[in-house]
Amino acid sequence: MTEVSELAVEARDGTGKGAARAVRRGGRVPAVIYGDKKAPISISIDRVKLRHELKRPGFRRRLYDLRINGLAERVLPRAVQRHPVSDEPLHVDFLRVGAGAEISVNVAVVFVNEELSPGLKRGGVLNIVRHEIEVVCPATAIPESFIIDLEGLEIGDGVHISQVTLPENVVPTITDRDFTIATVAAPTVVRDEAAAAAEAAEEEEIEGEEAVEGEVAEEAAEEGASEEQGEQD
Amino acid sequence: MLSPKRTKYRKAHKGRVHGNATRGTVLNFGAYGLKATAPGRVTARQIEAARRAITRHLKRAGRIWIRIFPDVPVSTKPTEVRMGKGKGSPEYWMCRVKPGRIMFEVDGVAPLLAKAAIARGAAKLPMATRFIAREEA
Repeated sequence: MTEVSELAVEARDGTGKGAARAVRRGGRVPAVIYGDKKAPISISIDRVKLRHELKRPGFRRRLYDLRINGLAERVLPRAVQRHPVSDEPLHVDFLRVGAGAEISVNVAVVFVNEELSPGLKRGGVLNIVRHEIEVVCPATAIPESFIIDLEGLEIGDGVHISQVTLPENVVPTITDRDFTIATVAAPTVVRDEAAAAAEAAEEEEIEGEEAVEGEVAEEAAEEGASEEQGEQD
Repeated sequence: MLSPKRTKYRKAHKGRVHGNATRGTVLNFGAYGLKATAPGRVTARQIEAARRAITRHLKRAGRIWIRIFPDVPVSTKPTEVRMGKGKGSPEYWMCRVKPGRIMFEVDGVAPLLAKAAIARGAAKLPMATRFIAREEA
């Protein structure tokens, strides 16, 4: 069952950037409620309270009851616009959720038992292809997360959507292929004893560069070679 | 070092960096990243230095992504040459970075290690930056 929280909001007058900026100057964040074949409502939320909600994991999977002018609206946060530099929330979209509504939502992937994966123990790297999986599910039954067990995974193995047990009525939006969620990639450490030696040589070169000026051309050539080696890091 | 394979023109105008980034402002690959909070020009050499600093601190564990590419040629004039007589020859490559741009991403390592590694990378770059981590959806 999807968690339902409450959030204090106020209806706001006016739309557009002028009105939205005025709202932001007042310490609030403009937002909109839309969907369910009803007219959109412009609202605003206290910035501190919104920030607090955003810090709690699963903001976009949590249903909210918003009370505006005495009427309650059950909504699901769909999008949060953020400032590109400060990452402060600038605007929030809420989707009205009617009775029996089905929605597509991104659900986080959680990896467990990393210590039981022989591949990761041997220095393999967990390459997460998808941090979230988009699924279609009833709005009242949004999965909290998908737990993926890494036990027994060797280097070169992968986890695909077919290996994940999905709850009832939950279907991934990508159905035409068995997409990859994560792989255990080969470690870069194994092959790099040679690279480490090259690096040590390179450091010596840099020290030597300060002392001997005559060998500049030769060193440049060597440096070029070591850079190529470095790119493989 | 990073550089374009081929270019349409050999030399470019100096240019200025105005405004904030509108693209490349959220983490796309890794769980941690380095975001520019001030404008600047990053040279291919600086990108490589930052990449090496991060990779070495991570001891080659995890993965690293570079989200900027130096595609602007910078020309310089030789020393002791009077002004005029045309533009100098291309010497190195740089990219213009706007505030908000994610320059590096890291994944597959512990948060504290990622933060320390990214701080070392940030020290090689010419502008103010900020460490960012992925928030759970």
